[in-house]
Amino acid sequence: MVMSLLLALPGAVGLWLVTGGRGLPVRPARWVAAATAAATLVLAVVVVALGSSVDRPWLPELGMRWSFGLDGISVPLVLLTATIGLLVAAHAWAEMPTGGSPATFLGCLLLVEAGALATFAARDAVLFFVAFEVVLVPMWLLVGRYGDDHDPRARADAAHRFVLYTAVGSTTMLLGILLLLARAGTSDLRALADGAGGALGGGTQLAVAALLVLGLAVKVPVFPFHTWLPPAHTTAPTAGSVLLAAVLLKMGTYGLVRLPVATVPDGFTRLAPVLAVAGTVGIVWGALVCLVERDLKRLIAYSSVAHMGFVVLALASGSETGLQAALYANVAHGAVSALLFVVVGGLKQRWGSVDLTVPRPALRETSPRLGFVLLLGLAASLGLPGLAGFWGEFLAVYAAWDPAPERSRALFVACAVAAAVGAALAAAYALRVAGIVWAGDRPDPEVATTPDTSGVERVVLGVLAVAVVGLGVAPMVLLGTTADAVARIGGGP
Amino acid sequence: MTPWLLVGLPVAAAVLGVALRRNDLLARAVAVGLGAATLLVAVLAWALADGSAVSAGPGLRAGELAVPLDLVLDPTRGALAAVVALVALAVQVYSTWYLETDDRYGQFAATVSLFTGAMLLVVVSADLLLTVVGWEVMGWCSYLLIGHWSRRAAARRAALKAFLVTRVADIGFVLGIIGLAAGAGSTSLSAVLAPWRRPTACIDAALADGALAGEALTACGAPDGALRATLLVLVVVGILGKSAQVPFQDWLADAMEGPTPASALIHAATMVAAGTVVLAALFPVFADSPAARWFLGVAVAVTMLLAALLAFAQTDLKRMLAWSTVSQVAVMLSAVAAAPPADGADAGLLHLWSHALFKSLLFLAIGWAALAAGGTAAMALRGSAAAAPVLRTGFLVGFLSLAGVPLVVVGGLSKEHVLVTAWDGAVQADGPGVLVLVALVLTAAVTAAYSTRGYLVLTAHVRQQPTATGVPAVVHGVLWVLVLLTVFGSLVVLTGSFAVHQVSALWMLLSVLVIGVGVAVALRGGFDRDPAQVLARRFVPVADAGLGVDLLYRRVVATPVLRLARLVAFVDTEVVDAYVRGSAVATRAAGWAGARLHRAERPSAAVGLVLTGVVLLGALGVLAWS
Repeated sequence: MVMSLLLALPGAVGLWLVTGGRGLPVRPARWVAAATAAATLVLAVVVVALGSSVDRPWLPELGMRWSFGLDGISVPLVLLTATIGLLVAAHAWAEMPTGGSPATFLGCLLLVEAGALATFAARDAVLFFVAFEVVLVPMWLLVGRYGDDHDPRARADAAHRFVLYTAVGSTTMLLGILLLLARAGTSDLRALADGAGGALGGGTQLAVAALLVLGLAVKVPVFPFHTWLPPAHTTAPTAGSVLLAAVLLKMGTYGLVRLPVATVPDGFTRLAPVLAVAGTVGIVWGALVCLVERDLKRLIAYSSVAHMGFVVLALASGSETGLQAALYANVAHGAVSALLFVVVGGLKQRWGSVDLTVPRPALRETSPRLGFVLLLGLAASLGLPGLAGFWGEFLAVYAAWDPAPERSRALFVACAVAAAVGAALAAAYALRVAGIVWAGDRPDPEVATTPDTSGVERVVLGVLAVAVVGLGVAPMVLLGTTADAVARIGGGP
Repeated sequence: MTPWLLVGLPVAAAVLGVALRRNDLLARAVAVGLGAATLLVAVLAWALADGSAVSAGPGLRAGELAVPLDLVLDPTRGALAAVVALVALAVQVYSTWYLETDDRYGQFAATVSLFTGAMLLVVVSADLLLTVVGWEVMGWCSYLLIGHWSRRAAARRAALKAFLVTRVADIGFVLGIIGLAAGAGSTSLSAVLAPWRRPTACIDAALADGALAGEALTACGAPDGALRATLLVLVVVGILGKSAQVPFQDWLADAMEGPTPASALIHAATMVAAGTVVLAALFPVFADSPAARWFLGVAVAVTMLLAALLAFAQTDLKRMLAWSTVSQVAVMLSAVAAAPPADGADAGLLHLWSHALFKSLLFLAIGWAALAAGGTAAMALRGSAAAAPVLRTGFLVGFLSLAGVPLVVVGGLSKEHVLVTAWDGAVQADGPGVLVLVALVLTAAVTAAYSTRGYLVLTAHVRQQPTATGVPAVVHGVLWVLVLLTVFGSLVVLTGSFAVHQVSALWMLLSVLVIGVGVAVALRGGFDRDPAQVLARRFVPVADAGLGVDLLYRRVVATPVLRLARLVAFVDTEVVDAYVRGSAVATRAAGWAGARLHRAERPSAAVGLVLTGVVLLGALGVLAWS
């Protein structure tokens, strides 16, 4: 009951806001969206606390069920999504992009949230796919209509690229799901994970795994399918960027855990070396681009590619430690990238652009609070212990060093070494940004200063900063939540 | 519980300090008050420590890997924690005066507290993962402290350089730790040590039974020696970075851009000394690996002599102290490299203990003198010790200690122990003992020479005596306490916290001789002239530039990496993204062509369609037929 409500509430209100309530003025629309997002967060907490679930026949002819429920793997992601949903709804007070009616904008945010929640709660492969797709259109609207109003062509290009690229990925994934369904005879993810998928033949498993991994790799994104991400991030409004980084990318990695890793372990094992190499290349590649990138929003997007590389590498390692590392790094990246995108989006709003080559007064001098949060985000991004980024990445390198037994040790050790080098490069680009944006000479009194953060933006940043520190100081909470579910999936076959 | 309190108090001070940073008075109260509480806890923990006591940590559920996150306290760790807390408290008290007018005092004090907490974590850690945590947090704090005056470009650059150089070295540290932990399936220190140690007793028994060496190793489940050596070398690389040893030495002298109290903290008790603590914890495994010992031995032997020579010829006395730190940390590490396996690494830790006292004294004193004289260059500082009686005494005691004059001061005693340990190692001859011993003796002479120089310059008689007014009594008090501890600190050996042997009179005599040579050389130009100008006039500019290593770092690492990055960025937009753009262009072209073909008013469209169909059918036919 509560479970259905959790999914229906943001979905229904979001739909109403983009259709019937589209003409709603900005002030009531903001309150409606914020109240809905807050209620959704409360519902999410209740669902987690009560362990509520729903399970009904849906398309009995095909054996599909309307089945939503949470386990240790989805609980952190549902809470993350609900929290981020509330934060982006609240952020509308700080930044309301032009380009269309405010109600549609807020409705799209809620629809994305509803789709993401359904994706994380779905216990049926087809349902998962449907929920996965629901997110695409509102996200496309957010990027294409409400994005950066400086350059309409770039905006249209980014939006099209996003929707076409991920749609191609989804289609590939759908083929994989259908093949799996046809061969295993069930679309119940729990049954598939408990052996129905593992019982398939080697060739089928490999085919299913290849299709699923390929499709999901676009969403994560894994190198070399990452080029849609930087333009989408650069163009999207702050709330869209935050949703994209903190929620949408997580759906890709979550899908990797739920579908190929859990259902076709043998097939995934055979693909693991390729995935590990792709992830590792992504780590180094993203970090290197960050060293010379001029646009701060693009830079953070490329750093996301690098961080997701750690997640993918950990998943590919196939050990339980690797799975734990991947799930941890996934959530941690959600918090860190959300924080960074709120800061950088705020900077873009203040400055008009976030080109690093334009000299500007140092944040540490003119707006210390904003500067502090930026520095916190950068420190977390370079993997400073005590902040969210560290544990997942350290454990990911460990998992790569000591992969599951059926994997090539030499290859994975090489990946671990490259990933450690990538972590050092992360320090270089994070401090590059800190050196340009945060620290600097005493400001010229003639030049206009950057207004410091205040009001709702400050609250949003405060919550995210607490999350980043909290995840880093008490990693045992999150690792303890996911441990049992991970043990059930096990370290491979 | 005590060790958690030991780490928790300074961290709490840091959090509170950030919260209260706007109110200098409260920030000061928190920093000094909790610093004093930390010292109290540390001293109590040291006094009550009886054997090794592990406090269980919260533990992480990380799949196959066991991560207990335990802490441990024993007398040696207690003594180290006490000296760290003491130096940190001295620095905090001193900063309340030194940074009185600084608009970011609150942030500074909070960072110092966090730094202290991280170092204490490394000291009491019984889990390699916690060691990494403390290690990295210290690196970050050093970035903030060195770059504290971020309005100056030189400070920003020095902070960046310090963090990046140590972080690059940490690639090795992290991989080495991960490899060691992977061998044990646990990050707990005791669990990691067990499988990597050479099962000597078992092997000896098997050999006595007449087994071949290879068979004995297999039968006893001996660890893979090559892998162990590789992993330890990786760990040592990280330690060389953090401790500013060759080839990573160049960041520490530049780090003098930070405020002097920060330098005192980084040099005396934290950061650069942390490597010795980590290696001492890993010593049982480290001692079994001659390759790793040689690697460390060669690096520190080169470093200690090179840094001592560079220290002698610096025009800036604060940089002279920085290079002396590099040299002295090499002395600590040399004790670990050369110690016979049975003796343990305590001689190095003892030197850490005494170095913390006299180096913090020297730094805090020179900061004061520099404020009085208006600069840190030797020319400016000439005669500046006259500003206060405690400075004159402090410099005398500090430089005597740095030179390692036996029996008088704390530094002399610990250096004797390092020498004896190196001698023992050299006699047993399975490590770099001889090399280390030679380097130690040479370094002792050079150290005596530059200590003489420093003292001569600072206490020279000048007509216009500098004065520092408004120095509060508490700062005088801090320096007097450090003076007293530098003189009487050697009594720590009587507590038995450090397992070291007796030092014979012969060694002391030899040391005095070597030091005498160094002093005599330094005094060749008489008492009034700067020995560096007399003896090494040509070498001075080279030494000030740190032998041009900075340029080397840029040429060998920074420039190629940036070039590669530019190439990668180009490939990313022009190649990886090209197929995406290509598919978009192709789709649009197909759409355009389709639309064109379907316009009914163009008869040629139908012809085109038919033609295309014919071509396609033909192609199909060819394919099917062949």
